[in-house]
Amino acid sequence: MAEGEFDLAGCLASVLQHDDEAARALVERLYPQVIRIARGHLPQRTTEQDLAQEIFAKLFSRLQDYEPRQSVPFEHWVSRLAVRTCLDALRAERRRPELRWGDLPEDQAAWLEFMVADESTPPDTDAASAREIVDLLLSQLKPEDRLVITWLDLEQKSVREISQLTGWSSPLVKVRAFRARRKLRKLAAMFRERHLYERA
Amino acid sequence: MKELERRWQLCAARARLAPARSETVPLGFAARVLARGLPATDAGLEAIWERLAIRWLAALVGVLVICAALELPNLHGAPVLKPGIENTVSQLVWKL
Repeated sequence: MAEGEFDLAGCLASVLQHDDEAARALVERLYPQVIRIARGHLPQRTTEQDLAQEIFAKLFSRLQDYEPRQSVPFEHWVSRLAVRTCLDALRAERRRPELRWGDLPEDQAAWLEFMVADESTPPDTDAASAREIVDLLLSQLKPEDRLVITWLDLEQKSVREISQLTGWSSPLVKVRAFRARRKLRKLAAMFRERHLYERA
Repeated sequence: MKELERRWQLCAARARLAPARSETVPLGFAARVLARGLPATDAGLEAIWERLAIRWLAALVGVLVICAALELPNLHGAPVLKPGIENTVSQLVWKL
């Protein structure tokens, strides 16, 4: 089915009539959106495929509750459901991965050093290592705060977009972003102290 | 702390340049999802039970409120609330 011709309403109606083909088409249609959210908010011990599968399972089990409304398009409804599933998975993990300077590969350690120490120029490494250290730092935050910063700083979404995708109010998104940045500052200060101590 | 924010944004900007990962549906993914089931009858029954339970709860709360409203005028000086049982028990014990 071509992108522009996708009949969402018809597809949803067919899925509710237990039409496997329609369900398959819906999975293919929504997969990019779902996998992006799953990748951005992945617990340490879960694979992105498992999490995406969990999201789709929830989506199909709750599809009958979806009511087409002008204010909440289907994509936003899916996004909110995906976000809730990811946050539940992150909360269930409880223990956040410990970040130890000594365990980091050289590229990532260089970025951390740039962020918290006195290095004045950003390290000349590939983007993937920057992405990995950013993910690692974000994994130290509370799931909701991590989500807000991922969308604000990495995906460059606006507060309004995040509000629509999560169902949270704009002030709440801003408060979470503020809290997350404060926590990142604290983390940086802690790493800086540790780093200075180790150097001494 | 503005400096840290600036450095964080630089790192985030570099991270954004990381090559995008594939977003095509992996082989067999849709089949695995479908194997877990489409909106099943269990889920439907669950939803029906949930809806009925909420309605029953609302109805019960309504009945309780009506009962409370009917009993409210009798609350002041109502003989029903006087503990008569103590006398009966003590009298019975005395007779023994």
